[in-house]
Amino acid sequence: MNRPWLSLTPLIQRKIRRTALLVTAVFIMLFMRLWYLQVLEGRHYATLSTNNRLRLRSVEAPRGFILDRSGAVLVENRPSFDVYVIPADVPDPDETARAIGAILAQAPGEVAGKIRAGQAHPYQPLLLAREVNERTMVAIEERKMNLPGISLKVHPIRSYLDHGIAAHLLGYVSEVNREQLHQEEYRDFQPGETVGQAGVERLFDAFVRGINGREEIEVDAQGRLVRLLDRLEPQSGFNLVLTLDKKLQVAAEKAFAGKRGAVVAMNPQTGEILVWVSGPSYDPNLFAQRLSRGAWEELVANPTHPFQNRPLQAQYPPGSIFKLVVMAAGLETGAITPETVFHCPGHFTLGRSTFKDWKEGGHGRQDLMQAIAHSCNVYFYQAALKTGIDPIAWVAREFGLGQKTGIELRDEATGLIPAPAWKRDTVGEPWYPGDTVLSGIGQGRILVTPLQMVTMVAAIANGGTLYRPWMVKRVESWGGEVVAAYGPEVVRKVNVNPRVLELLRQGMLRVVEEGTGRSARISGVQVAGKTGTAQVVKRQVGNAGMTKDHAWFVAFAPYTDPEIAIVVIAENAGFGSVAAAPVARAVLEAAYSPARGKTAVAQGPGLGAQE
Amino acid sequence: MYLDRRMLATFDWRMAGITLILIGVGIITIWSGNLGSPSPLKQSLYLRQALWFVLGLFGLLAAAFVNYRSLARFAYPIFGTFLALLLLLTVVGGAGSGAQRWIRVGVWTLQPSEFMKLALIVVLARYFEDYKERLGELRLLVVPAIVALVPILLILGQPDLGTATLLGLLTLSILLLVGLRFKHLLFLAFAGAALTPLLWSFLKDYQQQRLMVFLYPQLDPLGAGYHITQSKIAVGSGGLLGKGLKAASQSQLNFLPASHTDFIFAVLAEQWGFLGCLAILLLYYFLITRGLEIASEARDLFGALMAFGIMAMLMVQLAVNVGMVLGVMPVVGVPLPLLSYGGSSLLVTCVSIGLVMSVHMRRFLY
Repeated sequence: MNRPWLSLTPLIQRKIRRTALLVTAVFIMLFMRLWYLQVLEGRHYATLSTNNRLRLRSVEAPRGFILDRSGAVLVENRPSFDVYVIPADVPDPDETARAIGAILAQAPGEVAGKIRAGQAHPYQPLLLAREVNERTMVAIEERKMNLPGISLKVHPIRSYLDHGIAAHLLGYVSEVNREQLHQEEYRDFQPGETVGQAGVERLFDAFVRGINGREEIEVDAQGRLVRLLDRLEPQSGFNLVLTLDKKLQVAAEKAFAGKRGAVVAMNPQTGEILVWVSGPSYDPNLFAQRLSRGAWEELVANPTHPFQNRPLQAQYPPGSIFKLVVMAAGLETGAITPETVFHCPGHFTLGRSTFKDWKEGGHGRQDLMQAIAHSCNVYFYQAALKTGIDPIAWVAREFGLGQKTGIELRDEATGLIPAPAWKRDTVGEPWYPGDTVLSGIGQGRILVTPLQMVTMVAAIANGGTLYRPWMVKRVESWGGEVVAAYGPEVVRKVNVNPRVLELLRQGMLRVVEEGTGRSARISGVQVAGKTGTAQVVKRQVGNAGMTKDHAWFVAFAPYTDPEIAIVVIAENAGFGSVAAAPVARAVLEAAYSPARGKTAVAQGPGLGAQE
Repeated sequence: MYLDRRMLATFDWRMAGITLILIGVGIITIWSGNLGSPSPLKQSLYLRQALWFVLGLFGLLAAAFVNYRSLARFAYPIFGTFLALLLLLTVVGGAGSGAQRWIRVGVWTLQPSEFMKLALIVVLARYFEDYKERLGELRLLVVPAIVALVPILLILGQPDLGTATLLGLLTLSILLLVGLRFKHLLFLAFAGAALTPLLWSFLKDYQQQRLMVFLYPQLDPLGAGYHITQSKIAVGSGGLLGKGLKAASQSQLNFLPASHTDFIFAVLAEQWGFLGCLAILLLYYFLITRGLEIASEARDLFGALMAFGIMAMLMVQLAVNVGMVLGVMPVVGVPLPLLSYGGSSLLVTCVSIGLVMSVHMRRFLY
């Protein structure tokens, strides 16, 4: 036979045959070991197996803490004492049910039913009561002899500070549910284990969760603990260090209390989230315990949607905030210059339509800076018309409007920047000049999320860099070692002339210094901002209390070298200058003049409604 | 692909039959071993395994009937692809979860390290065939050793000590066949010991911790020690005839961890007893010795080395896994080929066996 490697065949064939001998030897050794274990020692192991009085209990690992940027605790754990029963160790379910039912104030019939149902998995501990008080614990310990199969177990339970500050960002934990147990993602979970269900708790669950420990215990015939044979300590989860600033967060929640809407603050130089408020909120502590069905239904059915994560899920018309975009587009195309002057008689007529200014009688002759400072509608009707819708829509998209910011939280809304093609395709109507006029003041069909607004303001403040918002700085071990670290991510450089951005910043400064945003002024630091009042489309509103306008305010500070960009939207609260700007001031005061902060918030706005 | 009468006549029915029987036993064991599990996911695992079984069967037949020479032609791109996948896992895999072993493709999760085993065997076989005139030269072994080290280090970093060890032993067995001597091995051992501290320093702290627990299970007494004790009780209590499918309490009552993956042989031993284990092990023995026979009769060096490498892979996995269950080997996470739950492992093993059959079917064809 023609073998190309003929010269080597005998050697390699010999080696392969020798390997077969080695294989045979290994198999013989395995057979001998099996013979020893199963036949020679078989009876011994059979006894061990039937009398297996060893029990393996899992010890839940505490989740890692969640800390703010400077290490202040936002989420921690507290101990909870729970009562369990191991069905295998209960000789008479009725007897045990009567005894424990009396202590826990539960119906004995129900308890007995539970124990019987648990016989299918007799060694799986069944939870009877969670977080029992000290008196109950003592009662159980005293009557231990009459309670075969009943045991007490301590386990760490999640505890959110101040009834859950930044609840929508942090998320919550609850027991892994039946549906999840079927999913590959949760392959390592046992029923009853805790898992992050929303927000950062969910996103970083693998880091925060830790590794459960185990206890090997010996029990007597009644299933009572005889001795602890061995214990593998649980390993706590890693701590998360957020970008959030607790001081600013608390100030924002206090100033926004009772309002509906959102407050988000961001570091414009990095995209770090500093403040995250979504109102109304909910208490994540409710989920860490077992939430009653009634309480859950109440939360879900609430017409104000406390679960909605408004900063990224709620979409609003931007109102006058959008004048910044129109201004940028006008300057960029050369349609207007800072010297462009329009006359404002209080209304603007185009064909047969008349568009009103918010100020009765109008603003008179206005140049660009005056118009932005006083938020003159008529000026921007004309500026938009002169610029045209396409450049406006293009600049809006450059600033990140109409697209997801890319934050790692789930279900982010996209918003909408309408353009002629879009209107033709979805509404079936051509784009009218009147649509462009309305776009000039951010009405029409434009929709934005609060998060998009704050990333836009951040980009204006930092000279044109659009950052992806992020909220976890580091993952740390308890020893302080850094397990994972995260940093800023640039989405893109905004393709708008730096000189135009400079003019936008000057305009925003004028708004706060002398215009509609004066109620956001604070001592010591120059603030730049823009107010907005978004009209609520009446036909979409079913509820009478929800027809008032939405109040917007965006700002950044300090004017030179900005450190904070902030957005406030208060739903159905009226004028941005009255309802939103003071909230931003409270946050900025917490950052820059904490001593004055307390009195200032109480003062309230001293300015009349104007915009 | 061209089919020849002689080829069909040489289709190794016994080898295919043994493979099917072993997979079938595995599915039954996965099903019965998880009957008592409180987790609905675990109760349905056997269905997933059955699905992979169908896929594996196609893989086996395809590999057997396709000319394995085409594999030799594409050896380098194949190896490169799986190396790239491993690299991808290292770069992006760590973001949310701790372990970086899996890649998701729709509902399937794939474990590239499993596929790497076969890719490495193929690339080594191709390399030595290219240089067959220089076989026996020691210098020839340097490049393949370095090439093998790359995926081994990547997998070690995942960290998956079991698969990394397996790849190492696999490479060594092929090198021994083509010219490496035991005295060289001794030298390699020293060099390896000297290199370890350097590699160690590249790992992150928590990775080092995980590796330490892998290397020294006594650091984790209740973990590994408990597993071994319970595994021995399960095996031993099976006795001569076993307890049957449903009475096997040791594995059903969750005393046994990972009863469907790494410790599946313990479940089998409790259910089927010594005689059952003997039968199963004999099936493996026949499979491996038959594979080695095919290797020694192959028509070219590529086929011989590939068949040999595949059988070495099966043998090492079997010895490490069963040895661990019987308490004579350290606890290393290595699945039992064909029996353990795990789609990637099953698919790769099926394709591998198919390739060996292909070597047999083509030994007279030119």
